[in-house]
Amino acid sequence: MTAFLWRYSPLFLIAAAWEIAPRSGMLDAALLPPFSEVMAAMARLIIDPGLYVHAAASLMREIAGLGLAVVVGVGLGIVMAWYAPVRILVNPLVRCIYPMPKSALIPVMIMWLGLGHLAKIGLIFMGCLLPVIVSSYNAARGVETVLIWSAQNAGASRREILTEIVLPASMPEILSGVRTALALSFVLLVSSEFLMAREGLGYMIAFLGEGGIYDAMFATVLLVSGIGFAADRAYLAFTRRALAWRA
Amino acid sequence: MEPRMSASGLAGASLRLLAASGSVIALLVGWEALARSDVVSDFLLPQFTVVASRIAEDTLSGTLPVQLGLTLWRALAGFALAGVIGVGIGVMMARNKAAAWFFDPIVSIGFPAPKIAFLPVFILWFGLFDLSKILMTAFAAIFPVIVATAAGTEGVDKYIVWSARNAGASGRNILYEIILPAALPQIITGLQVALPISLIVTIVSEMVMGGEGLGGTMMVAARFADSVGVFAGIVQIAIAGYVLIKAIELVRRRLLVWHQETQQIATF
Amino acid sequence: MAEPQRAAGGGIRIAGVSHTYRPPRGRAVLALDHVSLEAGDNEFLALLGPSGCGKSTMLYLIGGFLPIESGVIEVRGKRVTAPGPDRGVVFQHFALFPWKTVRENVLYGLEKQRLPKAERMERAMAFIEKVNLTGFEDAYPAQLSGGMKQRVAIARTLAMDPSVLLMDEPFGALDAQTRRLMQEELLGILARNTKTVVFVTHDVQEAVLLADRVAVMSARPGRIKEIVDVADVGGTADAIRDRRFVEKVDYLWNSVRGEALAAQKGV
Repeated sequence: MTAFLWRYSPLFLIAAAWEIAPRSGMLDAALLPPFSEVMAAMARLIIDPGLYVHAAASLMREIAGLGLAVVVGVGLGIVMAWYAPVRILVNPLVRCIYPMPKSALIPVMIMWLGLGHLAKIGLIFMGCLLPVIVSSYNAARGVETVLIWSAQNAGASRREILTEIVLPASMPEILSGVRTALALSFVLLVSSEFLMAREGLGYMIAFLGEGGIYDAMFATVLLVSGIGFAADRAYLAFTRRALAWRA
Repeated sequence: MEPRMSASGLAGASLRLLAASGSVIALLVGWEALARSDVVSDFLLPQFTVVASRIAEDTLSGTLPVQLGLTLWRALAGFALAGVIGVGIGVMMARNKAAAWFFDPIVSIGFPAPKIAFLPVFILWFGLFDLSKILMTAFAAIFPVIVATAAGTEGVDKYIVWSARNAGASGRNILYEIILPAALPQIITGLQVALPISLIVTIVSEMVMGGEGLGGTMMVAARFADSVGVFAGIVQIAIAGYVLIKAIELVRRRLLVWHQETQQIATF
Repeated sequence: MAEPQRAAGGGIRIAGVSHTYRPPRGRAVLALDHVSLEAGDNEFLALLGPSGCGKSTMLYLIGGFLPIESGVIEVRGKRVTAPGPDRGVVFQHFALFPWKTVRENVLYGLEKQRLPKAERMERAMAFIEKVNLTGFEDAYPAQLSGGMKQRVAIARTLAMDPSVLLMDEPFGALDAQTRRLMQEELLGILARNTKTVVFVTHDVQEAVLLADRVAVMSARPGRIKEIVDVADVGGTADAIRDRRFVEKVDYLWNSVRGEALAAQKGV
C-alpha cells in the first residue's frame, strides 16, 4: 500500500500546485478553477444520473466498435497470413489505409451514417480494425516454423494447425495490437463525440466548455482520462492472466 | 561467411517499388470499378477519377497547397516540440531518480488516457488559432516519446558503458557519445509512433475548431454534403500521412545504418 | 503398461537427393549434392559434419518438411511426401508449445491420433515418467531448464510411437554437463525401445558414443564423404575411456577436420 502511495505521490504535489496557483492569483482562476472546486464538481457529477446516461452511451459505442474490430481483425489477419488468395485480395486495402490518420474518416462517417450511434461505432470499428489486422497478420507469419513442423509431425491437419497452433502462438502479439487498438478506440470515441454527437462523455466536455461551466468540464476531462487509464490497466491484468504461461 | 547480397541496386529497388505501388493501383482500380457500378450511389462513393480531378483543381488553384501546408506546419511543429521536450524528459527520467519519481505517475496515467479529451481545455487557454492546435498536438504526441526514450536510455547494455569507463571516458562524454547513440533506435521508434499521432490530433483539432487546414475544410465539405470534397480530403491526408511516414523511415535508415547491418547479419 | 506391439524400426533409403536453398532475397545455394545413404531397421545412424553442410536439411527432407526436388527418399518402402507421425522429429531448440503444460505437450500427438481419452492419459504419463519428469506435468515450458525441456520434447515425440526417430542436434542447446547426462539417458531409453534413428550432430564424440554408423558429410554443398562403422564401440557411459573408442573418435575428427576448416573459410 505504501509503495502504491509513494509511486503516485507526485500527483498530490500537482494537485497542491493546482490548488494554490489559481487561488493565489498566479494563474487566472477563470481559466483554471482550483483543484478543490474541480473535485466538488466531480462529486456533483458522480451523484447525477445524467452522467451515467452519457457514460453508458460512450461505453456502449466503444465496446461495440472495438469488439467488432477485434473479432473481424484477428480472423482476417490470421486468414491473410495463412491463405494467399485472401492476402492478395486484402493486402492493398490494408497497406493503403494503414498509414492514414483514422480520424480523417470522421467526415465520411457523418455523411454515410449521420449523427447516430452507428456512425460512431462504424468509426471506431474502421479505425481499430487495421492495427488489429496488422498485428494479427504479423504474429501469424512470425510463428516459429518448428512449432508448425512439430504439429505436422504429429499429424495435424491444416485447419487444426491454424486453430491449435498458430492462434495460441500469435496471442502475445495479437493482445499487444489490441492494446493499441484500445487506446485508439478511446481517441476516436472522444473525437467523434466532440464532432457528431448529442450524448456521450465527449459531448459533455464540449457542452460544458461551451457553456462556460469550467469546473465541471475539467472534472469530466479527468474522468475520461481516468477511464482510459483504468481500461488499459484492466486490459493489462487480463493479458497477464491469459499469457500466464509466459512466466 | 560471405554476406548475402540483395537483388542488385537499382533493379531491385525498382522492382520493390513496383510491387508496393501495385497495391495502390489495385486499390484505386477496385475503387473506380465499385464506384462506377450501381452497387453504391455516387454520393456514398464518388468515382476516383472525379475525386482526382477535384484534387488537381485544388492544387492548381492553390487551395490545396495552402491547406495542406497549414495542417503539416501545425502537425510538425507540435511533433518537434514533443520530440525535443519528450527526449529531454525521457533521458532525465532514465538517469535521475527524482525525475523518474516525479514523472512516472504522470506518464503512466497519461500514456493510455485519451489526450484529445483535453482539447476544450487547450481551446479555453489558447484560443482558436495555431497555438492551441500545436500545443494540443505536442501534448498528445509527447507521451510515446518519453516512454520510448526512457526505456531506450535505461536499457543501454551496461557492459558497453563499462567499456567506455574502462577507456577513461568522463560522465558527460559517455552520455552523448555512448548512451544516446545506443538508445537511438528506441528513441526513433518512439518518434515514429508520435508522428502519426501528431497528424491525427492536428486534424481532429482542426475539425473541432474549424477554420483553415485540411481538417477544417473536410468538416465544411461534410456539412454541405460535398461527398467529392470529403473524399478528396481523405486522399490528401492519406498522401500526407504516407509521405511523413516514409520520410521518417528514411531518416531512421540513415541514422541507424549500423543498426540495420547488425540486423541483417543476424537473419543470415 | 504394455509396450506398443508395433514392429520397431523402419529402414530408410535416400537415393541421389539434391537440395537447393532459395532465400527470398539473394542467390540460390546448393545445400545437398546427390546424397545417397541407407539406414537399416533399428539402426542408429549419425550424420556428422561441419556447420552449414546440409545435415539438418537432410533430416528435414526425410521428415517431409522440405520438398524433395530431385532424388528419392523412402521410409519402410514408402516414398516420403509429407510430414507424419511415423517419422518423429526432435528439434534442437525443443519446439515445445509454450502455452501448453508438459502433459498437454506430450498429449498433442496422441490427440491427433484420436486415441481414446483414458489411453491417451496413460501413455502420456508413462512417457513423462520414462524421461524422469514425473511431478512436472503441470509446469509450463518457460518454467523448465534446458535439459528438462529437451526431455519433454523427447517424450512428446516418443509418445507418438514413430518407427523412425529424427533428431536434429537435440543436445546442442544444452550446457556440456547436461549434454553428457542426456546422452546417457537417451542410450537408456533407446535400449528399451529400439527404433531407427537418424541423429544429426557436429560433436564427434557424441556421434561415436551413440551411433552404430557415422556418416561424415563434406562442407557445403553436402556430400557423403565416408561412412564409418562404430557399432563395436560406445554405447555405454564408460565406453569413452576405451582405447578403441578414442581411436575411432580420433579417426573421425581427422576426417571432419578438413571439412570444418573449409566451412570456416566462408563457404
